[in-house]
Amino acid sequence: MTPRYNFAFLDEDTKRMLRRALLKAVAIPGYQVPFGSREMPLPYGWGTGGIQVTAALLGPDDVLKVIDQGADDTTNAVNIRRFFSRVAGIATTEHTTDATLIQTRHRIPETSLREDQILIFQVPEPEPLRTLEPREAETRTLHALADYGLMHVKLYEDIAQYGHIATSYDYPVLVDGRFLTSPSPIPKFDNPKLDRSPALMLFGAGREKRLYAIPPYTSVESLAFDDHPFELQRWDHQCALCGSGDSYLDEVVVDDHGARMFVCSDTDYCSGRRVEAQA
Amino acid sequence: MMLAAFADPVFDSQRTFRELLQAMARPAVPRRLPVLPPSPAPVMPEAMAIVLTLCDATTTLWLQQPNAEVAEHLRFHAGLRLADQVQQADFALIDDPTSMPALEGFARGDLRYPDRSASLIVQVEGFRTDRGPRFAGPGIRHTEMLAIEGLQDGFWRQRAALSAQLPLGVDLYFVAAQHVVAMPRTTRLLEG
Repeated sequence: MTPRYNFAFLDEDTKRMLRRALLKAVAIPGYQVPFGSREMPLPYGWGTGGIQVTAALLGPDDVLKVIDQGADDTTNAVNIRRFFSRVAGIATTEHTTDATLIQTRHRIPETSLREDQILIFQVPEPEPLRTLEPREAETRTLHALADYGLMHVKLYEDIAQYGHIATSYDYPVLVDGRFLTSPSPIPKFDNPKLDRSPALMLFGAGREKRLYAIPPYTSVESLAFDDHPFELQRWDHQCALCGSGDSYLDEVVVDDHGARMFVCSDTDYCSGRRVEAQA
Repeated sequence: MMLAAFADPVFDSQRTFRELLQAMARPAVPRRLPVLPPSPAPVMPEAMAIVLTLCDATTTLWLQQPNAEVAEHLRFHAGLRLADQVQQADFALIDDPTSMPALEGFARGDLRYPDRSASLIVQVEGFRTDRGPRFAGPGIRHTEMLAIEGLQDGFWRQRAALSAQLPLGVDLYFVAAQHVVAMPRTTRLLEG
């Protein structure tokens, strides 16, 4: 642990500001609360929002897991874990079941979460309407009026052009029947895990300076149409390492001749299944 | 002589915050507050723990019954500003809920910024989870049963009237006997 910093890097005033914003975020599910995002010792786009939320939550007894695209061993995940063990001296883990806090970039673990766990998402763009309406004042008004016609038109245009809704990640959801919310760029495969989750889910966007939350057991509906219901992507393959047929798979090129394999994106889930199979 | 605040400001407020966060995420369920700091009457140590965890120089607090000792204690330990008018308060400390001002007098946010709304810390007599009305809403799996003792008649009617304005509203922290119950604006009291 590096003793020159306050516990978990941030000063106490900043943590209090974050904590007040987080409580309001939980009280208004799916609504984006502005907060005073601080400069962190890594650039925007590397999870500064998630890191600030984690820092505001972290206590000495917490066990932190960090994943990037489902993997514990990628640069972003390794560095964030190392950062918090240096500035807070806390324990880290790669096992989903051992963690009290899980910070994630772009995935939800395959293993079901528990009520005593908190999932923290790194969010690049918190505003689901931003690509359709660039003005913040205007998107705020659309949220105030719950006017989400723009998004329905976008999904409809997908159907008109491609015959199906082509959005496969960052698929927009309606939280508690009120606020249109970005689930962060998780694959739409993970959207059903947001609905009535036992674990609290917090979202932090550092560059955009917004926090939001989905409380446990809250309805999260992926937008769709009656005649074009929400559908999950499916694979013709199984994981080449653990044989799982129902997890989210990454396609990996393995040689110079274009040979490919499909493997679980959730490394802890995959290695857990392999250990189980050997036993 | 002035009383002390949290013995360990960093970790005491962190532990208190985590309970508040879980309380807000799981409404109508009493949660035990881990640290009770000394507190001048009529402020209960449970309420003081919340104020010390969340308030500082950037927030205002409205006291239902201001007195010099409480004001001095809060200004010294939290550096907060006291609000004269209920509608200016980010936080409000209610020590006598039988004579509390109307809920609609507090800031409820505006439609573009519903988070600019008051959080009320209400000192009550006690909680019962074996009887009382049922609550539902985000954070509650099925329903939760909870009786809050010491509230004025008509409190729930007043609060239900506010729910027509969602997502505007006020968020409540009830405290009694070392426990806190959070009641965000989205929690509904089920009739009958």
